[in-house]
Amino acid sequence: MTARPDPLIHPITRLSICGLLAAGADWVEFAALRDAAGISDSVLSKQSRVLEDAGYVEVRKGAIGRRPRTWFRLTAEGRQAVRGHLAWLAQMEEAVSAGTRDIQQARPLPGDRDQPRHALPPLLGST
Amino acid sequence: MRDVARDPAALERLRVQRSRLADRLQPPWWYLTGIAILWALAFACPFTSRYLPQGVRTWPILVAAVAIACLLHWGLARATGIAVDTRMFRYPSGRPAGIAIIVVGVAALVTETFLIDRGLLVAAIAVAALAVAAQVAAQQAQLRGIRQDLRAGGGAP
Repeated sequence: MTARPDPLIHPITRLSICGLLAAGADWVEFAALRDAAGISDSVLSKQSRVLEDAGYVEVRKGAIGRRPRTWFRLTAEGRQAVRGHLAWLAQMEEAVSAGTRDIQQARPLPGDRDQPRHALPPLLGST
Repeated sequence: MRDVARDPAALERLRVQRSRLADRLQPPWWYLTGIAILWALAFACPFTSRYLPQGVRTWPILVAAVAIACLLHWGLARATGIAVDTRMFRYPSGRPAGIAIIVVGVAALVTETFLIDRGLLVAAIAVAALAVAAQVAAQQAQLRGIRQDLRAGGGAP
């Protein structure tokens, strides 16, 4: 699997929708997806349409009695794109947390006691 | 639209959302009751094949059990809004419970047949009752495992 950003999944709402559909459920119903993502009906409708048009999401519509029911699931292409995007995000998160560790571990140089602490390049910080 | 690049907590938010989705997968009371009836039918087979009059077949009971299983799966998806895969071993955290379901099922059927052949009817009924309780517990454990995988995103094929 290649870790690479996908511009279609990049917006936070679509990332939520795709990430939830990629969690492992076979199909997820409209209301369950809306509640879990914490978005409105209209936003979910609009964004799912974009994902469906791109071939990332498969939509199945049905009705139980008078209540319409819409179910979503990722297509194989969508699943692959989400995996790559999530792997890329995980790499970014790792890079950010590694940077934070470096800043926390950076020690002031002798004579810098009264100076504010600065993040040092790794080469200087290791001496 | 908000962008992930300006939101470093995107993955953390996704974890929370997945956790919310997983929490919906709580079996209603009728689901567990249905599971108990399903296994009671399955464990009734050794009795029916022995004690029902000749000519009465066992297979309608098995067909009824399969029909109940399909109905329960459909009902759970409808009630929770989450349709999980029907393949028993798809979810890694639910696998031990899935294996337990098979082992308990086979062991109970073999033990029942053994006891019935020796005329120990009460013991066979007790084994069947215990096995039904064990299967309901194993089914709950399997759903717990599936919830865990949905939270971690580990249930993806």
